[in-house]
Amino acid sequence: MTSITSQRRRKAVRLAVRQFRSSRAGMVGLVILSVFVVIAVAAPLISSRDGLDVIAARAAGNPSWAPPSEFPLLGTDHLRRSVASQFVWGSRVSLFVGLAATVLTMVIGTVIGLTAGFLGGKLEAILMRLTEWFLVIPFLPLAIVLAAILGRSLWNIILVIAVTSWPATARLLRAQVLSVKNRLFVDRARALGSTPGQIVRRHILPNVSGLILANTTLTVPVAILTETTLAFLGLGDPRAASWGKTLEEAFVNGAITRNAWWYYLPAGLGIVAVVLAFSLIGRTLEEIANPRLRSR
Amino acid sequence: MSDPLLSVEDLTVTYRAAGKSVPAVRGVTFGLSVGETLGLAGESGCGKSSLANAVLRLLPLGAKTGGKVMLEGEDVLAMKPGRLRAVRWTEAAIVFQGALHALNPVQRVGDQIAEPMLLHDGALTDRAAAAAVKGLLSHVGLPERFARSYPHQLSGGQRQRVLIAMALACDPALLIADEPTTALDLMVQAQVLALLERLRTERGLAMIFITHDLSVLTHTTKRLAVMYAGRIVEEGPSDQLFTAPFHPYSAALTAAFPSIGDPGSRMHPSGLAGDPPDPTDLPSGCPFRVRCPVVEDRCAEIDIRLVAAGEDRSAACVLVGT
Amino acid sequence: MSSLVEVAGVSVRFGAARAVDGVDLTVETGEVLALVGESGSGKTTLIRTILGLQYPTAGSVSFQGKPVPNHGPAARSYRRDVQMVFQDPTGALNPRQTIYEAVAEGHRIHHGHEGEKEKVAEALASAGLRPPERFFPLYPHEVSGGQRQRAVIAGAMILHPKLLLADEPVASLDASIRGEILALLRRLVDQTGLTVLVVTHDLGLAWNIADRVAVMYLGRVVEVGPTDQILAEPRHPYTRALLSVVPEVHHLEPQILIGEIPDPTRIPTGCRFHPRCPVVAGGEADRLGILEMCKSVDPQFLEGVACHASPPHAGGGGT
Repeated sequence: MTSITSQRRRKAVRLAVRQFRSSRAGMVGLVILSVFVVIAVAAPLISSRDGLDVIAARAAGNPSWAPPSEFPLLGTDHLRRSVASQFVWGSRVSLFVGLAATVLTMVIGTVIGLTAGFLGGKLEAILMRLTEWFLVIPFLPLAIVLAAILGRSLWNIILVIAVTSWPATARLLRAQVLSVKNRLFVDRARALGSTPGQIVRRHILPNVSGLILANTTLTVPVAILTETTLAFLGLGDPRAASWGKTLEEAFVNGAITRNAWWYYLPAGLGIVAVVLAFSLIGRTLEEIANPRLRSR
Repeated sequence: MSDPLLSVEDLTVTYRAAGKSVPAVRGVTFGLSVGETLGLAGESGCGKSSLANAVLRLLPLGAKTGGKVMLEGEDVLAMKPGRLRAVRWTEAAIVFQGALHALNPVQRVGDQIAEPMLLHDGALTDRAAAAAVKGLLSHVGLPERFARSYPHQLSGGQRQRVLIAMALACDPALLIADEPTTALDLMVQAQVLALLERLRTERGLAMIFITHDLSVLTHTTKRLAVMYAGRIVEEGPSDQLFTAPFHPYSAALTAAFPSIGDPGSRMHPSGLAGDPPDPTDLPSGCPFRVRCPVVEDRCAEIDIRLVAAGEDRSAACVLVGT
Repeated sequence: MSSLVEVAGVSVRFGAARAVDGVDLTVETGEVLALVGESGSGKTTLIRTILGLQYPTAGSVSFQGKPVPNHGPAARSYRRDVQMVFQDPTGALNPRQTIYEAVAEGHRIHHGHEGEKEKVAEALASAGLRPPERFFPLYPHEVSGGQRQRAVIAGAMILHPKLLLADEPVASLDASIRGEILALLRRLVDQTGLTVLVVTHDLGLAWNIADRVAVMYLGRVVEVGPTDQILAEPRHPYTRALLSVVPEVHHLEPQILIGEIPDPTRIPTGCRFHPRCPVVAGGEADRLGILEMCKSVDPQFLEGVACHASPPHAGGGGT
């Protein structure tokens, strides 16, 4: 890339940043997300791991089912563990699983979508049938079967989410690649003598990258919610203290009938907040990438 | 002389885009009598389409207008919405460019032609409307069965005819044709022009014909007005203006479409340096001076308006009328 | 001297549609040949076949005596010799590439990065974009339509091709800029020995810059010859009708044909023009005794024209 072009690219990035800053929705989302990222990253500093240990909690003499007025910050659960610790450490797991699953989804979906869209022909037909097959499989039975076969670990959860989410991304990407492939400037590149690799690198990818970025940002909340669902249904990693696990334990141990709102509300609100944050950011990125989506 | 059918007085149209004011039309005045034809020539950004849309107040939200558009004695720009709706299509109608998106792709052609009829005449039965549609289709040279077709099933020339039929649905006195033959093949263009001419004489229509292809206008219109940067820069009888233009821009525009057989243009394409003006960034004085082949120093200072230049002719140029 | 390009019996079929249906054509070195026709005539398909973006279903295209290669290193070096300018300059440029990158692309593919900057500046300047450095960092949407087309021309000329194919190069540009772009093309021909094959529906354009004109109808070339000759005295009835309806033509009585060009999947038998031909409709074909031939026999291409009513064909008074 020449210096002229890299100058223009930097200018474009600065412009995009400025546009993002001017979007209230986007900034709100970014702030919310930043708060949770800080909590997740600084978890070892703000809350001792012991907070999750049942034996230590007993030894410390914590009351069980204590509301926040008795036991700061967020009370205790049925096993005397600090709910606040679970919240802080749970954010780590939920965000990590969400991001990891999204990365895996995007990689699989992009590779398949790009290949199918660009190469066409029989390969495209095969890949699209494969995509449809996965799209049609009902999510929950597949998740249960995979959890049973592979065992209930965090990485398996990530795998399950990726396996059920990549088809949507693949289809989206293939459609976009098809539309870019048929544009006149791709014809011109062929007329100039470009190899297929050069065409993909110089013309296809830059024109789908905006879509990839926006789609990625909007896939994360889906992944987080999926992990929450799986954990809530008892399919999650029993040793991972994710928010979904917290909700499951709260539900199973009768927190609702006991009206122990401090047990399930933080985790629930945390999920809502993080999902909202990603959605706001993703929508703002979409608007920046596609100016036609902006309302006048 | 009969009362003018249409009288545009110092019309201005300004859009707002991305925080800036875009003056698309900057003071246009002209008149049109019953049965008269006027050609409006100019390139992209000169304001001709804005002018056409202003006559029926079809401008987008946020567009500001000034001046008057007197259609059959009433000012269109000052009409109440109810009166405006009644006037639209019944007194004046627009024939748009026949691109695929000028017609509703999911509605049959016959229904689209019938729509204005049913809107304006509440007492019209569906049967009567269908019969009228068939009549209009054959009037524009299309088979009656096309009423049941969808736009994508028709060719470009056929779609253009449908748009013409639609414009005639409520029997208007004035037809505004906005680039009706652009993007059509040569032979189809000739067919559409012949059709417009036939309809005009049969119904006594007044017509405003807007295009960037000046050569098309010489045979189809009696008078010609050339627009540049939101103003009319020359006006006069078509044949005279085309063969002997006064304004340097009109001269360049006529030279852009060579006469086949004229040795002067053989191997000698003629064009103007520079680009069509940006309405948000017009130079001082005469906006054409940055491209004008005969520019003088005083052109930067004088914002010249139309000046009489002989019998029934006028041009906005310092070199004229002295 | 052999021609630069020889198209021999080329047909291109898309399923049941015969877009190009048996075309013989030559392009001579250093000339501007205008390929004239309406939509559906097959002219765009034909030049894409010459460029190598489209493979002929039958027949062959030769460049400098050798067949046009469609793969391998021979195909890549062919790209250096034959380039194309497109109808829509806005669509032909990648909106995410600067003008510099768009013009440099051809050079990079074939010659890598060495000397790139000078070559790009040279190409932009020769296409009329001066000073070239001003245009380096600009994106396509930041320049005008005429400047975009000049950039596309620069991108093609940076490879110093021998043949330039232009598909309606000025159709989507404003009238006042037309002349400048056409003058640029003519200048490139006169100064660098470039050969240009320009596809257009505009006969005025042919009058402006073309040495020879070839007229296409429904996949066939129906008439070919020097511009002065064809536009003064067209021999084929289609050419005559087309010329007669050009608004600025006065030496011919306007003949508006009925209907439109038929679908390429339903090409009429015999002479493909006979259902719309004024010679048939006006009875002259009958009088000449060739009516049956017009309806059943596809006229051969002889001495630059494919029409039964025109010499040297049977009905034209020759043998």
